Amino acid sequence: MKGTGWRLSPLGEAAITVTLGDRVEPILHDRVLDLARRARAAQWPGIQEVVAAYATVTVFFDPLKTNHGRVSAALRTLQHAPAVPKNSPLETSREFVIPVRYDGPDLEEVATRTGLPRSEVIARHAARTYRVYLLGFVPGFAYLGELDPTLALPRRAEPRQRVPEGAVAIAGEQTGIYPFPTPGGWHLIGTTETRMFDAQRDPPALLSVGDRVRFTPVD
Amino acid sequence: MLTVLKAPPFATVQDRGREGQRSAGVPPSGAMDRRALETGNLLVGNPLGSAGVEWALGGGAVRFERETAFALTGAHARATLDGTPIAPYRSQRARAGAVLHIAAPDRGRFLYLSVDGGIAVPEVLHSRATYLTASLGGLEGRRLRTEDTLPLGEPGGKSPPKGFAVPPPEDSGELRVLLGPQADLFPEKAWARFLTQAYTVTNASDRMGYRLAGPALAAQGPASLPSEAACPGAIQVPDGGTPIVLMPDGPTVGGYPKLAVVIGPDLGRLAQCNPGEEVRFRRVSVEEAEAAYRREAEAVRALERLSAAVENHR
Repeated sequence: MKGTGWRLSPLGEAAITVTLGDRVEPILHDRVLDLARRARAAQWPGIQEVVAAYATVTVFFDPLKTNHGRVSAALRTLQHAPAVPKNSPLETSREFVIPVRYDGPDLEEVATRTGLPRSEVIARHAARTYRVYLLGFVPGFAYLGELDPTLALPRRAEPRQRVPEGAVAIAGEQTGIYPFPTPGGWHLIGTTETRMFDAQRDPPALLSVGDRVRFTPVD
Repeated sequence: MLTVLKAPPFATVQDRGREGQRSAGVPPSGAMDRRALETGNLLVGNPLGSAGVEWALGGGAVRFERETAFALTGAHARATLDGTPIAPYRSQRARAGAVLHIAAPDRGRFLYLSVDGGIAVPEVLHSRATYLTASLGGLEGRRLRTEDTLPLGEPGGKSPPKGFAVPPPEDSGELRVLLGPQADLFPEKAWARFLTQAYTVTNASDRMGYRLAGPALAAQGPASLPSEAACPGAIQVPDGGTPIVLMPDGPTVGGYPKLAVVIGPDLGRLAQCNPGEEVRFRRVSVEEAEAAYRREAEAVRALERLSAAVENHR
């Protein structure tokens, strides 16, 4: 499927997924963000939530208040908006700066395997502005892309049983922050004090899909 | 108040779960067998979504610190109130200080203890459901321990009379599924196996997901996709070809192909399967799935009317 796809599939009796493509790329994600924004703004009856991911938008609904037929028809009315929004939704999105202490237990290994000095690994990780592509895995975990390709490494062969809260990590062309102690297979290069998820906060997750994120090194 | 005299190995406070937080990566959580929780609430005169104790993996005991209407639903276990055997799916009354012993479930997996007024732990993100991974909801976001005390809400005074009973749901065979978003990545042979062979619930089954053992169902094409929204009931098939059915605490997104989705009304029956039990799947259309969902809701409403009629008649 190329970047201009459109396919509706049921996800159980209470959700429909719109698939717009099958890869991770900014231009496709712009379309995802744009469709999600329009689907939310439409305020169709019975809709519980609109979830944007890399290449899909999923609409969750209450099957006692609406149904597949109505939600599909409503979604189709949004199909023929401009295939690519004129301006990237990211131009008006929020930007967060997250302070990072680059002290992760895998920093040395990342340096060795990429053939870069540690300082250069840090500089390259902190040089980019990342896009929040997706939240998931655990509450508040944001998948950020794209990492500098020279830092891209496959996941660890042996995932850790317990990655500490606040660990800043990389894997493939992605980077992210572990909001809770969980098992994890990414390479840990730093630590942040910034709380990614706090149920007492509104909204509880610091980041939303479509936000921009930069990292700034601290001692 | 309810005092946990002896906690079973796995008990949490659950309600019908939280909606609207998937975009932040927060799964719905809530009762593994939603119908059982709702029925328990009906039996004690609570709103359907009140919180109860979801009890699993062993026996234990609680003490009622006030006069309490209560009911046991879901998995079957022997239970006694101050030494007298009591039946499940029936409104029961306990005096202040009475002790309820619940043995390890002998049929099914998740038992629900409902009390009039509900378990009144604070709501977190609009729900009292416990979600252990992020320590959300329930009692301090964790499982119940011996010596915990649980606050109870004010009883609505609408509980049906002692002895009011409803029939437990019948096991009605195959689990109904809808085609999943990546159904077409699975060759016809895989589909034929999936719909004709039995799958066994394995030990790797918990509130996040049930891993099944059975004929492999390898997808054609990429083993993983850019992650997208998932939901309880979604049947993901990782590289190995053995399916995992996501449950209420499962991740909100996933990158494995989703072969099919178990419909909501049937997910509680899967939840009640212990490791070693077999399940079979049957494909239904979207219209059939929607009708099943409406029938399920109507069945619960019918019980609600019956319970209200009994109350009014008193």
